[in-house]
Amino acid sequence: MSIEHKTGRPIDELIRDGEDPELLYAELRSAFEQERGKASTPQQGQALRDRWLGRRSGLLSATNDHWLKAAPRELKPVVGKLQNLLRREIEAAVEAAARAAVEEQAQAEPDLDATLPGPERACGAIHPVRLALEEVLDIFRPLGYSVAEGPEIETFFYNFEALNFPPDHPAVDEMDTLFLNDGALLRTHTSPCQIRIMESKRPPLRYVVHGKVYRNDTPDATHSPMFHQLEMFAVDESITFGDLKGTLEHFVRCFFGPQTQARFRPSFFPFTEPSAEVDITCPFCSRSGCRICKQTGFIEVLGCGMIDPNVLRNAGLDPQRYQGFAAGFGLDRFAMLKYNIDDILLMYQGDARFLRQFR
Amino acid sequence: MLILLSWLTDFVEIRESPRELADALTMAGMAVDAVESEAGETVFEFDITSNRPDAMNHFGMAREVAAIYRRPLRAPSTACAESGPPAASKASVEIQDPDGCVRYVGRVFTDVEVRPSPDWMRRRLELCGIRSINNLADLTNYVLLEIGQPTHAFDLDRLAGAAIVVRRARNGEKLVTLDGEDRDLTGGHLAICDAERPVALAGVMGGQATEITAETRNVLLEAAWFRPSVIRNAARGFKLFTEASHRFERGADWNAAPQAADRIAALLAETGPGQVLPGQVDCFPQPPQLSPIRLERADIRRHLGIQVDDAEVEGILSALGFEPSADSSGWSVPAVSHRLDVERGIDLIEEVARIHGFANIPATLPAVGAAPEPTPLASEDARMRAAVRGLGYDETVGFAFISSDEAKRFGSGDPVSLRNPLSQLWDVMRNSAVPTMVRALEWNLRRNQPFVRLAEFGRVYRRSEASYEEPSVLTLGASGAARPASWAEPAREVGFYDVKADVSALLAAFLPNAPSIVTEGVPSYYRKKHAAGLASNGEVLAWFGELDPELARERKIRQPVWVAEIFLGKVYGRGLRRPTHGKLAKVPAVSRDFSLLVPDAIDFASITEAVGEMPDLDSVEPVEVFRGKNVPEGSYSLLLRAWWQRLDESLTDQEVNEFADELRSRLQSRLGIALRT
Repeated sequence: MSIEHKTGRPIDELIRDGEDPELLYAELRSAFEQERGKASTPQQGQALRDRWLGRRSGLLSATNDHWLKAAPRELKPVVGKLQNLLRREIEAAVEAAARAAVEEQAQAEPDLDATLPGPERACGAIHPVRLALEEVLDIFRPLGYSVAEGPEIETFFYNFEALNFPPDHPAVDEMDTLFLNDGALLRTHTSPCQIRIMESKRPPLRYVVHGKVYRNDTPDATHSPMFHQLEMFAVDESITFGDLKGTLEHFVRCFFGPQTQARFRPSFFPFTEPSAEVDITCPFCSRSGCRICKQTGFIEVLGCGMIDPNVLRNAGLDPQRYQGFAAGFGLDRFAMLKYNIDDILLMYQGDARFLRQFR
Repeated sequence: MLILLSWLTDFVEIRESPRELADALTMAGMAVDAVESEAGETVFEFDITSNRPDAMNHFGMAREVAAIYRRPLRAPSTACAESGPPAASKASVEIQDPDGCVRYVGRVFTDVEVRPSPDWMRRRLELCGIRSINNLADLTNYVLLEIGQPTHAFDLDRLAGAAIVVRRARNGEKLVTLDGEDRDLTGGHLAICDAERPVALAGVMGGQATEITAETRNVLLEAAWFRPSVIRNAARGFKLFTEASHRFERGADWNAAPQAADRIAALLAETGPGQVLPGQVDCFPQPPQLSPIRLERADIRRHLGIQVDDAEVEGILSALGFEPSADSSGWSVPAVSHRLDVERGIDLIEEVARIHGFANIPATLPAVGAAPEPTPLASEDARMRAAVRGLGYDETVGFAFISSDEAKRFGSGDPVSLRNPLSQLWDVMRNSAVPTMVRALEWNLRRNQPFVRLAEFGRVYRRSEASYEEPSVLTLGASGAARPASWAEPAREVGFYDVKADVSALLAAFLPNAPSIVTEGVPSYYRKKHAAGLASNGEVLAWFGELDPELARERKIRQPVWVAEIFLGKVYGRGLRRPTHGKLAKVPAVSRDFSLLVPDAIDFASITEAVGEMPDLDSVEPVEVFRGKNVPEGSYSLLLRAWWQRLDESLTDQEVNEFADELRSRLQSRLGIALRT
């Protein structure tokens, strides 16, 4: 009697004919083993799966219906166990056979050259000055600073007078101002915005001001008639020089790396007093001396100080009540230091080869 | 400013190495740029800030050293033997402009002999970068370097009436200065005159007529104090910047004038030959009254965050030449003429802080204060920048200057022009950012870049009623391939629809509905029929298209370049579109294709308009546009695909066929378009 025939008959009939459930299942198993041995292509593997595991007409479905379901109550546990055992074995074997067939087919396929480039879909570059700006803003925003930009065309009052530049002082010359025909000017620094903010808002103030500034400088590797400045200032009733130091030390550590130390050197700016220049320990040579720090171990990076009482007064704040600090620097220079750019004019040529390095 | 170590030690003891001294001075605000060793002498190169003219000489710098190390300071010797008749009997001094000239000290030397200076003096001068001339000229230079007071030596015998009159020049008066130049003087100039005419431009340069020559026997020495603004204007007016003007315009010390005169007398007596007549001719009509300065102890802490010991405060101020007198809450400190920059309590606090040492002020962090304000348009800007980046445009920044020619071609109205431009190519502020972008594209094409996509966020500048406006604009530039060339895809040139797609994508975040296309009023720097605008509610938000080929040719650009300008103020002003979710259909949409022959005069927008609203019509899209073979001249073939969809149930074939019939009949009746056969 063939396997198909046997699985089509109820088990109690087969037992009556002298068959034994255990032997019946053993017979099935060996039939499966034989067929499996012959199935080598994926198509044959699929046929094997259909013949044995097919949901409607598979041999296992037949044994399930005719043997297990039809078994007399006392035989059910035995048949059930045999049935489950066989199903698990067949399923595992069919699965393995299918896997092996796929594997074999993949072996025959030519290798994919995964090293060929895909068609380029690059994201655009962020300009290095912008990159530096974002980084600086990310440092100051969590400290509670607001961000402003202000106009680039300014008046003499906001750019100089309100910032405590005496009208006839050489410091005005040092700024190399570009003037418009009506006496307005291109701001030489972002500080006029400090006055505009102090005029329109009440302390406590924490602000970062950034944007383009202009100087009548002939372009060369370190000078550009247009560049970017950023300044931050804080005005409150109890801001001290110590706060200025702490804030800037935190800032240079965040921007230039945790090892960076700041050195505050007395200096002069008309709009701050006391004023300081900040040198940082050279992040490129850890103070041992290199080309970038000109063998000094220090790099001058920014100017700062306590806002001069005259500036507060000019902006309508009472210097007896309020104090503040301010610090400013060239974003271009920060970007140049950070990204190893040796010529500021690269920033403004729009050379795609230069820009793509910042993608 | 060059300072010699050995010269400093004339006035203060120095035990430190040159390097240590340089560091200490730098950290006190006297920045040492270099320390050089030259012929056994140590030379410091200082960069001294413009507020500290007092330190631009050896004695002043020695005072800084004395303050840093709290060591005694010795003044240069001014003792000398005088003989002969009193100076005042041989020369007179009169100040007619006491505002411009506050003090004028004259000293008279007779029987001098002009000859070389002694070696030690020549050596010091030369190490400081001053060429030795003769003993008299060298003396004035030496004392300038030593105590910072500019002086001038006149040939007394050539001064008419042996008189000095300090007055404003009269219009039309002339003076030949020591450099041989003819100077036309006006009432704005302060002149040193003799009884008849100007003999020197006060505080700037002496005159040739009265200069010291080999024949000079009798000398009138001038040591004066001139008002800084007067000197500054004269020096700037004549573009004549001298050691003297440099010093005077930063503010000299009126009490150093008699000291300098005496110091020169003492040195002359020492180096000879010559006779120093007794006494000075000191004209000081209105000695300036300096207000005392109030320094509150509490203010030191308020500004610095630390309390500095009283003894330290007093020690520092005394060493710097102040005379503080203490009381219960602080000090009263008379202002001093050698530090005119110090006039307020805060100025004294700075002196205390820098000598006490900034390094000795501990770093603290301020409290946050108030909640930060949201940055206006920050979200809009961040979204736009991310989109620009995502579309593959490299961000560039260009100069805000263009030429007035470019302003005429690319902008409208009078541009904002510069009074002192860097060059004629940069003589106005840009009224359009397109020329800036064109320059950048040109730069790249000259460097054979096959794929260029640039974006610039910047401003343009124009006059408004009362002042100026600086609206923000985003400029895009594109040239070359539509995508970077690749083995996997055939190359294709970038074109109108690529740029249109990019600009539309950038506007999408801001507009609730698709913008409308505008072809009227496209600026003339775009190529005709190859440019358009995108508008919303009748407002143009962007222009884009190919640069006019003539303009391109002028710039030696030999391939099509595409630019777009997006007016960010107008776009951001609309705010970010707030997305709202609509229901998603549960069953797939059904489409029908229509192959149409369309006259050229009918554009795609007219077709969608003619189709109009229809129940269950989801969208209408062009699948293929074709001109040429088998398509009659004056027409184009359009394969149109329409999609229908109902949210909850499938459409039957019959329904869709009815819809398609309706669509066909609308095209037929409204536009006269028939299906292609």
